[in-house]
Amino acid sequence: MASPNAVLLISFLLFSIGIAGVLIRRNALVILMCIELMLNAANLNFVSMARHSGTVGGHAIALLVMGYAAAEVAVGLALVVAIYRRRDTIQVDDMNLLKG
Amino acid sequence: MESILASLGQHLFVIFGLMACAAAAVMIFSKSAIHSVLAFLTAMLCVAACYLCQQAEFLGVAQLLVYAGGIVVLFLFVVMLVELSKFREKGLFQAQAKVALPLVVAFVGVFSWFFRQALFGAPSKEALTLPPEISGGLDVAANNAQAVSRGLFSGWLLPFEILSVILLVALVGAIVLAKSERA
Repeated sequence: MASPNAVLLISFLLFSIGIAGVLIRRNALVILMCIELMLNAANLNFVSMARHSGTVGGHAIALLVMGYAAAEVAVGLALVVAIYRRRDTIQVDDMNLLKG
Repeated sequence: MESILASLGQHLFVIFGLMACAAAAVMIFSKSAIHSVLAFLTAMLCVAACYLCQQAEFLGVAQLLVYAGGIVVLFLFVVMLVELSKFREKGLFQAQAKVALPLVVAFVGVFSWFFRQALFGAPSKEALTLPPEISGGLDVAANNAQAVSRGLFSGWLLPFEILSVILLVALVGAIVLAKSERA
């Protein structure tokens, strides 16, 4: 049991840690993990609001977001492997082909 | 001791949530990618515990299966496929980290000020409900998985079916992207 405000605070903290990771890390793998973390923070909010409003819609949408996250991470990791094969790096600041 | 345990049980969600935050912080600041993946696993386990504390039993177990069972293993495979040791000397953080990190901390400070008295407030008392034509006499509070499935397959059927197509597309796309180049 926790108040909805506590859930909002915790999920806000998780989300901001995810944003910080995306902004500061060079490693594309860690950036993907941070994106997963942000999706989980949003899911936590959905579950809390479902509990607060007493409807199952939040649970359903959290389950769907989980599936989308799985699809996203599969494609993202395939992209990381493909970039590593081609350019021999997974540092995001080495991926500058469009920079000219 | 008993009173400490009782009050701990009341605030179990906050405890697991803060553990998840700590694991996430370890994840973004650890040098080795394997340590990052293990901290990510810890954070996901703590989030699953948070779901269980919110009486979302089905979602908690699904989180364990999907994240601890699938996604973390996928990350570990890629960490082992990609040789990371040669990136060490280039540094862990991007050039904008000096600006970005204080900015994020400032945002956290501002929002936390709004939330400052919220952490140990009164719990929400509502139990899950379903419209009577869907619930059909089911005890919704006691049967979380059945309640979620009835909600999912009545009001959320179209997104669910779209998700299945998206998963298929992601499957094919991942295979095409990760396939070795044509001989």
